[in-house]
Amino acid sequence: MMSGPCTALVTAMISSHKVNLELAYILHSRPYRDTSLLVDIFSRTHGRIGAVAKGAKQAKSKFNGLLQPFGLLMLSWSGKGDLMTLTDAEQPQAALDINGSQLISGFYLNELLTRLLQRHDPHQILFDIYHETLCILVKDEHLEAVLRRFEFYLLQETGYGLVLDHDVETGEAIQTEACYCYYIERGPVKIDKTSDQQQGVLINGQTLLAIKDGSLVEALHLKQAKQLMRAVIAHQLGDKPLRSRELAMQKVL
Amino acid sequence: MTGSSLINRLIESLRCLPSVGPKSAQRMAYHLLEHNRQGASQLAHDLLEAIEQIGNCEQCRTLSEKTVCDICNNRGRDQSVICVVESPADVQVIEQVAGYRGVYFVLMGHLSPLDGVGPIELGLDILAKKLDAGIITELILATNPTVEGEATAYYIAEMASTRGIKATRIAHGVPIGGELEYVNSTTLSHAFNGRVEL
Ligand SMILES: [Zn+2]
Repeated sequence: MMSGPCTALVTAMISSHKVNLELAYILHSRPYRDTSLLVDIFSRTHGRIGAVAKGAKQAKSKFNGLLQPFGLLMLSWSGKGDLMTLTDAEQPQAALDINGSQLISGFYLNELLTRLLQRHDPHQILFDIYHETLCILVKDEHLEAVLRRFEFYLLQETGYGLVLDHDVETGEAIQTEACYCYYIERGPVKIDKTSDQQQGVLINGQTLLAIKDGSLVEALHLKQAKQLMRAVIAHQLGDKPLRSRELAMQKVL
Repeated sequence: MTGSSLINRLIESLRCLPSVGPKSAQRMAYHLLEHNRQGASQLAHDLLEAIEQIGNCEQCRTLSEKTVCDICNNRGRDQSVICVVESPADVQVIEQVAGYRGVYFVLMGHLSPLDGVGPIELGLDILAKKLDAGIITELILATNPTVEGEATAYYIAEMASTRGIKATRIAHGVPIGGELEYVNSTTLSHAFNGRVEL
């Protein structure tokens, strides 16, 4: 049995965290006071963390130039509550060479994460997917499919997973040749091709299955998948729309 | 510490200046009141006047007490070349060193969707009108080498390219006198991508 003071010490250690060189990305940073930065961190095992990087804007700072989005980092921090203090940063591998429209897509991912992830909720799978997404993004291949895959996992990991394998009214498996209406917060319901405009997103059975299998290729499927994701994400975000969409010139977001 | 609330208010007000914490604010307040009341009075007067009279140049958006700033108004400057920068301080820096003879467009920030800063907040609609007017032949993009600065440069370059206007990006890289070992990899990667033939 632990004695009183010892328990108090353990509690203090838990509430006052010290995290050492944990894999993380910066989602966003903004100036704080004169020389510091407030950073929004997405870490692999601790999820989203808010931290202050003291003196980070000074030329001699060990953080100088490192605390930017889209570069995999190893970060150390300590503290408790909502605002940690960043104590160290290392770059385990060369920074991604992310340019042009890739940056806009990257902002979109980061905006989604900052809007939909709660602080201190660990999301390891999502972190790995995010990392992969960025790595594929810089190759400029299958951009739309990659973004849809990220959105799919983001929704799943945050508890809003899509129903993609069965009709929620009949329970029957999704048929490739059938047409569905996807009701947000419920799922797909098979409809007649001739039926009236529905209060949901019209989507082919094939598209639903392609999203599920991560095999979106055809233009029609990509278009329908984007419409579905947009509607579901908009529903989760409420009235405040995503600002990064304004910047997209390729209509992929 | 005196209990005078006016002094405390002054100390608190001085803290709106960059790099001024409670200690230095207190030092400034006592200095002004004890040793330089005339300077303090001049400062108060100039501050008020500056706030009332300095607005943004309607051509380039930089800080200016005139409707059109001296650079935009200078007939000796090439009005067909625009250098796009993030802040009025950047204009000062380029003016001092670069021997640049074109004009500027000052964004007063950079694209940052997560901070709610989009194209309209940066006056890019004004820039678009300038580009549409047909006088501009080149845009020099001198935004900062941060991801937001790069995204801003890309976005404006696209605006130029859809109108058939040339856009160039200033080179970023290893600081002169710096050693490669101490340059972070992002900077080094920029330097590599921006390399030139010798
Ligand atoms: Zn001007």
